[in-house]
Order: sequence, then C-alpha cells, then structure tokens
Amino acid sequence: MSAGSGSLPRYIGQRVLLVIPMILILVTVVFLLLRVAPGDPVTAAVGGKLDPQAIALRRHQLGLDQPLYVQYFEYLKNVVTFNFGHTISDNRPIIDVIRDNGGATLTLTLGAFIFALAIGIPLGLIAGRMRDTAPDVVIRIFGVVTYAAPIFWTGLLLVILVAPTGWPTYDIASPETKFLVHPITHVLLLDCILQGNIPATLDVLQHHLLPCLTLGLLLCGVFIRLVRVNLLQSLQGDYVEAARARGIPEKFVIRRHAFRNALVPVITIIGLQVALTMAGAVLTEKTFNWPGIGNQLVKYLDARDYNAVQGLVTFFAVVVIIVSVLVDIVNAMIDPRVRY
Amino acid sequence: MVATLAACGGGGSGGGATGSGSSFILGTTETVTAMDPAGSYDFGSWNMQYNIFQQLVNIPPGGTTPQGDAAKSCTYQDPKTLTCHLQPGLTFSNGDKLTSSDVKFSFERNIAINDPNGSAVLLGSITDASDPNNPKLASGAIETPDPTTVVFHLNKPDTTFIKVLTTATASIVDEQVFPADKLLPDNKVIGSGPYELSQYKAGEQAVLSANAKYQGAHKPKTDRIFVQYFNDPAPLKQAIASGQVDIAWRTLSPTDLNSLESNSDVNVIRGKGSEFRYWVFDLKTQVGKQLAIRQAVAQLIDRQAIAQKAYDGTVQPSYSIVPPGFAGQKDSFKTKYGSPSVSKAKALLDKAHIQTPITIKLGYTPTHYGPNTVDEANELARELNNSGLFKASVGDAEWEQYQTLYKQGAYDLFILGWYPDFLDADNYLTPFLRDGGFYANGYNNPQVNSLLDQELGSTNPQDREKTFGQIQDIVAQDVPLVPSWNGQNVAVAGKDMTGIAQTLDPTYIFRFWLIGKKG
Repeated sequence: MSAGSGSLPRYIGQRVLLVIPMILILVTVVFLLLRVAPGDPVTAAVGGKLDPQAIALRRHQLGLDQPLYVQYFEYLKNVVTFNFGHTISDNRPIIDVIRDNGGATLTLTLGAFIFALAIGIPLGLIAGRMRDTAPDVVIRIFGVVTYAAPIFWTGLLLVILVAPTGWPTYDIASPETKFLVHPITHVLLLDCILQGNIPATLDVLQHHLLPCLTLGLLLCGVFIRLVRVNLLQSLQGDYVEAARARGIPEKFVIRRHAFRNALVPVITIIGLQVALTMAGAVLTEKTFNWPGIGNQLVKYLDARDYNAVQGLVTFFAVVVIIVSVLVDIVNAMIDPRVRY
Repeated sequence: MVATLAACGGGGSGGGATGSGSSFILGTTETVTAMDPAGSYDFGSWNMQYNIFQQLVNIPPGGTTPQGDAAKSCTYQDPKTLTCHLQPGLTFSNGDKLTSSDVKFSFERNIAINDPNGSAVLLGSITDASDPNNPKLASGAIETPDPTTVVFHLNKPDTTFIKVLTTATASIVDEQVFPADKLLPDNKVIGSGPYELSQYKAGEQAVLSANAKYQGAHKPKTDRIFVQYFNDPAPLKQAIASGQVDIAWRTLSPTDLNSLESNSDVNVIRGKGSEFRYWVFDLKTQVGKQLAIRQAVAQLIDRQAIAQKAYDGTVQPSYSIVPPGFAGQKDSFKTKYGSPSVSKAKALLDKAHIQTPITIKLGYTPTHYGPNTVDEANELARELNNSGLFKASVGDAEWEQYQTLYKQGAYDLFILGWYPDFLDADNYLTPFLRDGGFYANGYNNPQVNSLLDQELGSTNPQDREKTFGQIQDIVAQDVPLVPSWNGQNVAVAGKDMTGIAQTLDPTYIFRFWLIGKKG
C-alpha cells in the first residue's frame, strides 16, 4: 500500500459536500415523520378546550391547513436561508433555544466524556492486563451493565442514593446562581469562571456531578471494552515481544508500548460516540431536569411543535455530521493506513 | 475535582446566593407559553400574569364573587353594559400611569393580535369577528370617557363577562411599552401587579421581585420568588422531598402526594379545586345514541369506587357537571339515579327493549390526564361488566391520536378533563352542551340552548341559579356526559412556608403575595 494514494483536499471536499444531501434527507424525514404523527401544535395545546371551528382557525393562522408540499417547500426555503423561525408553542426564536440551551448540553456531554475516559480507560487497562482473572470479569460485567442499563434508571438510582445527603439532584445550578450570573457565552460554567464568581462556579460543578456521571457511565462501558481489546491485541504484537526479549520490565512494556498503541483507536472512537452521547444527553437531561437542548426537544415533541423539533433535530444532526467528518479527516491525516 | 465538590457540601441553593431579602423557591411542571397576556391560554403563563399584572377585578382567595383590583368597582347597568371605575393614582412598575386608555389598549391588542396560543376567544362579547381572520375590537365596545372610567358595551347579553375580567386574558398592560400588533418578548414584560419579572429563562426559571411601585391591596410577604420549571413530576417530587424547593405545585400524581404525606419534612396541603373529570357519550354511535343505554351507565357508575381505587381517595365524586361550591350547583345525577343499582339499570334497558349485554367501547388517554386515568377506565369497565348488562372494552391512545379517534367515533364513551377559565357555572355548561360542546359529540337540545341564553342574559343571581338547576336536571335526564369526579388544588410545602392554604382554591391562581417563609 502506498501512502497518499489519493488527494487529501479532494477527500475533505467530498466529505464536506456529502453533508448537504445528508442534511436534506434528514430534514425531509423529520418533516414527514412529524406530519405523519397524529395531532399538531394546536390540538396539543387546546384540543381539550376549544371547539372544532376555533381549532381550525388557529391551524389556519399557523398555515397548518396548507398542502403538505407547500409547508415543506416553505420550510426548506427557511432552512436554506438559515431562518429557523420561531417555535410555535411558545414563540421563541429557535436560534435562541439553541443558544440558551446548547451550553448546558455541551458541558453535560464534555463532563460525561471526562467521566467516561477517567473511569473507562483505567478499568479497560486493568481488565486487559489481568485477562481472565476476577478483576477482568468484574470489570467486564461492570462495562456491560453500565452500557445496557437505561440512563433514566441509572440516573434515578443515583438520585435516590444521593438525595438524602443534600447534594443537588436536578438542574444545572441553584436558582440564585442562574439569577446572578450574567450570560456572556451562554455556557453557564464558562460564564461563572469569566465573571470570577467562585461560589457560582463550584455550585455549577456540584450540579454537574450526577448527570455527567450518569451519562459517563453509559459511555465508559464502550471505552472499557475497547481499551481492553486493543490492549490485548497490542500485547500480542511483535514489538511487545521484542521489548520483552530486550529485558524491559513488564510494567514499562505495558506503559510505554502496549498502552499507547491501545489508546489510538480510542481517540477516533470518541468522535464516533458523539451520536450516542447526544441521544444519551436527551434522556439524561429529562431525568435531571437539565436545561439542555435535549430537554427542550422532548418538551417540543410533546407539544407537537413542528418548527422547534425540526430545527433542533437538524441542529443535532449537523453537530453529529460535522464531528464525524472531522474525525474522519483527522483519522485520514494521522493514520496512513486510511485510504482516500 | 471530586474532593473540591465534596467540600462544598450539599443543598440546592449553595453557591452564588446574595441572601438579601426573603425568598422562596416554587417548583412546578407547568410551562409558560408567553408572559404577554395576549399570547397565552395556559396555567403556567396565567399564573405568572396574575402576579405581574392587575386586572380590573379579581377573585379573592376562597371566594367566587369578583372584587375590585385595579378597579374600585365594576357593575352591570344591564346585561350588555358594564362600567368599571379605576382606583386613582395607579402606576406600572416603570412609573407610567395606569389609565382607562391602557385598559382599552390591553383588550384591543389582545383581540387584534389573536395569537394562536392566546385566549382572545374569551373576549367574544366585545369582538367584531365579521372577518374571522382579522378580528378586532367591536366598534364602541369599550368607552373611556375619562382616565378612570371604562365602559364595556357587549355585543350580546353576557353576565359572565365580569368573570372574564378576572382572568389573566384581561390583564392590563402599559400601552407605552407593549406593541399593539405583536407580542412583547417575555423578559421585557412589565405590569402593575404585586411583582415584577426580574428574570425569565424559558423552560428553566422565572424570578419575580416585589414591585416597589405597587399600590394595590395585595402587598407581597416575600421579596423574591424563584419559579423553577420541571419537565417531569419525578425530579419535582425528589426536589420537594429533599428540600431543594420550598413548594411543589402542579402536578404531582395522587400516588406521589400520598407518599409525601409520610414525609415529616413537608406538608401536603389540599384545597378545594375545580378540576372536573367526565365521560362523554358519542351520540353518533349506535350505543351512544340510545338514551336508555346512557341512563343505564349513569345508573351503574360507582364514583366512590373510582375515587378510592383509581385515585387513592384524593378526588371527590361528582354528581353534576357543575362542581360543588358554584352558585346554582345541584347534584342532579344523585337526585335522579341515587346509588349504583344493577336492577334499576336493567329496568331502564328492559323498558327500552334493549338486549343485553351491550357491547360498549370506552376510551381514555394515558398521557394527558395523568397515570391514574388508566385505573379509572379499567374500574368503570369493571363496574359495567360486573353488572352483566354490558360487555365493556377499553381502548387508549396517546393524547394527540385520542382527540382524532374520539372525534371519529372510535369510542362510545370517552373520558375528558376540564379546568374552568373563570368561576362561573356557565363555564361548565356552555362549553359542554351548546351544539354538541367543544368535543362535538352530537348532543343538541334546543331547550338547553335557550336556557343557556337565558342565564347569560340575566343579571339576577337567583334567576341564574334557578336556570343552572334546570340545565343540570336536563343533563341528568339526557346524559350526554357522565360526571365522574372533582379534583383538589394541592401543594406540597416545607414546614416553614405560610399562606399556602389560603391560596389553594378553585381558581387555581397561586397568589405569590400571600406566601411567606418563616425564619
């Protein structure tokens, strides 16, 4: 195999161009799924209150009685011009929803990744190093259980365990912190730090513990298994045998040779876990009343808020797609075995 | 990081607090559609508006008769003319004077904006709806002869209009701040009420601070209130049980409330409510169109058993479509049918030559009215089946689909719930009975329509009550729907909270100005 058999800029260009049809397909699927589901924003809000004529009038005001293709092209036109519009159920600009709530999801997912890596990598290493021993079995079971357990179950369990201690079990910060800290970046933790408000920063970090741990436990199951498998493969490599043959102590063989190589795939897997993390974030946010985009998405789904759901799902998709493309590009750049 | 966090200790209000002035935290699962009165028709929004704005009149805690708020008085000259005199010297929280011009402006913009989420539909008596797509304030509907006088000229006799004036849709806004043709952004709203909105983070929290320029009768006991919005009852229950919020109000399930009764750190406070749960017959189905079958169901339903088995005794059996406590209410279903009786139900069916068992399909939704609805539906089906006169089956659908299904006639009998817009018996009659009601079940009784017109056009309370009684008797006879239960207005609060019992009444207005925190 020859390195650089294709053109990297062309590869990057192709991946970027593919984003457009991917988003178009996603937007269309979401649009259709929402319309196929029973009900609409009007019936969700006042279906049990107003007579059919009043409901029909409100649907007409919102353009919901127009033919589907008219609504679709109207929506596409807005997407193309980056006009995500307003939510129907509470009249908020959708860009504001993303701005005001995106920061909470960001810190939740970053915190979850930190937990996942801090727990998953060491445990994976231990499991791989102590293959087929009791610690290995326990760790593997732990990894399977944390991966398989529903997030809301894990979260509620942690809440029940922790609540008697007085530790905060919901929301991103105390009401006073949210009142006092002025939004600059709209990432609350960052805003606390930028404003030098140490009590508020600690308050926010305190609130992050349970949700990040819950989501992190889901992810760490993946990392445990991945690191373990990669370490086992690395330990069987010729270079490891050569190192042992040169008389290098085993602990240095593991640490300096096998371990580093075992971690390379983990870096690429992190990017691919973004989609899993986003999905997990939705459930985590609902469990902990976390003010992130996932929580808003559930709320707007309940309200059959077409504009909001379309806008937020598109945003999620764009994030996942962009991260995936970036991971592919980084992978192509650092790993010469990747063909492009 | 973990060690640092551990050193912080617990508590939901740690870190970053200023601590100046009294405050409390209220948690709720209600959501806010808009802080602007022209843009909402839901509990969450209205509750904030009751505390931020004044209305001309309001309902005092535990009462049913409107009393002056921004107005000294509002009185009918005749069923189509209502005159209100404002209190002198009122101002908004920004210092602008509140005059009759603001009052007129408030109604005018509400009707003109006609927001899809709004409640302008309640202002039909002063609306020119000749063009339904462009409703406007009817010409001459509101006169403002001087800065403190407002005269409403209604387009039809409507003695409930004074009660409409007590609702949040009639909130008075500053015409120098609120635009005439669109909603004001949530965090910019100002009013003349006991509180002003200091912060609003949509879906997260709202912060109210005592309005220093408020001149009304409802002086706040607490300087600052944090309203936290929960997307699910589970974290709300945890939050109140662990003291992270001071008050939890709407909506915890009966099961959650009963379990919190045994929590020594909180009080479960129950007040009278006006929530109403009822079963509606589809008169367009083969089963629903037969009067004897409807009456037989009304004869068989055991409301006590439903209240006990499905709701752990937290609701009150209802024997009328008008809840107890409303002027003119009478237990017409109890008078006509008495206790559940299989023999009486059989007699009704035999007299109509209807063969039994009758196959009947019950419908309910598990999502909109809480998790206990399934228990109610199953209990009613059990009662009907046990009588031997019915073969009842139960179907369910998620709320959106449910609305479609019941309108399509998928169920012979389906459950719905109701909260009143204002405390008047008419708000339990007109929406349900006129021309098939909002659910269009096919019921149409000209006598009922005529009686509804009669009570709406009467300013004599005794005459109205008599008419209400007649309507309720007809409903018990015709059984287009079967009342099931009336709910309570419940809050859970820490032991140091005061004033809550006072505000828990059938209006479901949570009057923040009454609430205090000891210590």
